[in-house]
Amino acid sequence: MSEDKAQVKVKFFTREQEESLHVEDVPVYAPISLKRYGLSEIVNHLLGSEQPIPFDFLIEGELLRTSLQDYLVKKGLSSETYLNIEYTRAVLPPSYLASY
Amino acid sequence: FETQEDHDNAKPSRSLEESRSLWHESELATAELSARLSEQLRLILEPTLATKLKGDYKTGKRLNMKRIIPYIASQFRKDKIWLRRTKPSKRQYQIMIALDDSKSMSESKCVKLAFESLCLVSKTLTQLEAGGLSIVKFGERIREVHKFEEQFSNETGAKSFQWFGFQETKTDIKMLVAESIKIFERARALNSGDQWQLEIVISDGVCEDHETIQRLVRRARENKIMLVFVIIDGINSNESIMDMSQVEYVPDESGNLQLRINKYLDTFPFEFYVVVRDITELPEMLSVILRQFFSDLASL
Ligand SMILES: [Mg+2]
Repeated sequence: MSEDKAQVKVKFFTREQEESLHVEDVPVYAPISLKRYGLSEIVNHLLGSEQPIPFDFLIEGELLRTSLQDYLVKKGLSSETYLNIEYTRAVLPPSYLASY
Repeated sequence: FETQEDHDNAKPSRSLEESRSLWHESELATAELSARLSEQLRLILEPTLATKLKGDYKTGKRLNMKRIIPYIASQFRKDKIWLRRTKPSKRQYQIMIALDDSKSMSESKCVKLAFESLCLVSKTLTQLEAGGLSIVKFGERIREVHKFEEQFSNETGAKSFQWFGFQETKTDIKMLVAESIKIFERARALNSGDQWQLEIVISDGVCEDHETIQRLVRRARENKIMLVFVIIDGINSNESIMDMSQVEYVPDESGNLQLRINKYLDTFPFEFYVVVRDITELPEMLSVILRQFFSDLASL
């Protein structure tokens, strides 16, 4: 999975109450190089937010702290998997968020 | 990277026994459809190009105007002044079926439909006696599991099923197209005469780097290889590849990458594709796409 063009099929969902934070329930084919920032950008794009909202991401209940690629490698998965990614409003301070 | 030795030592994913019963199940499931597909393909695969009028005959369908003056000048001795429609030559096909062996196929529950499609298409084409048949599997690696020069039968069909485990951790369509061109090139030498080469790819359609694939598809076309893509769509879910989005980063005027989200199929690199959700749709869909392909080809 070294080539930078590798992509993985993902689906975003949230448990947030606000209806305005819910994206459409469709698969998205995204680069595996993405980290929190890139994923946040995608969710905001899908939501059509005027003011970007920072999000945190969880896969199987586990907070994502790396790129999707690193996650896949760590879990022994390939880019052939279909990832269900949960997003929540970020609770970490912005200075920390900016770092990854 | 796979060496020749790795390739030769590779073991099939399934026992022959299991594959035979899988083949048999697929045969039963598609017997009726095969008759339908065969009927539709017969019309398409038989020569569709209008045959040309040819001279010079003593009787015929239409006068050959170029022969009229010499005819009169020769005092009606040079009387081969007629054109006739000559019999069309039987077109020979070399058809490759490439089946996606990647893991996403099993994750999206496409396996049963994939086996049935492979069985349906290969059996029907063999019945039509359209020409040689090759079966290729692709994923991270490519393997020709049934070669053009082999006679196809239920037994070789079952044997080809052995190679599909749907566990490959990549879907390398670039390599598939590049390798297909090579296989077809070698196959051209097998027969003389008018060869038409057709590749039917059966896959869930999920692949990256559409741009590069598109270039290769063009190259295949330049090599007179017709490529049609059958996308097997989410069977046991409400999800469809038609709703899938594709994330891209496109540089703006100042060179900064801008996020774009488009429909996945908007950039799908194969011009001729159909989306099939049910095996019963396959005969109709395949004949529609092939008909479109041939009319497109005729207009070139
Ligand atoms: Mg795949």
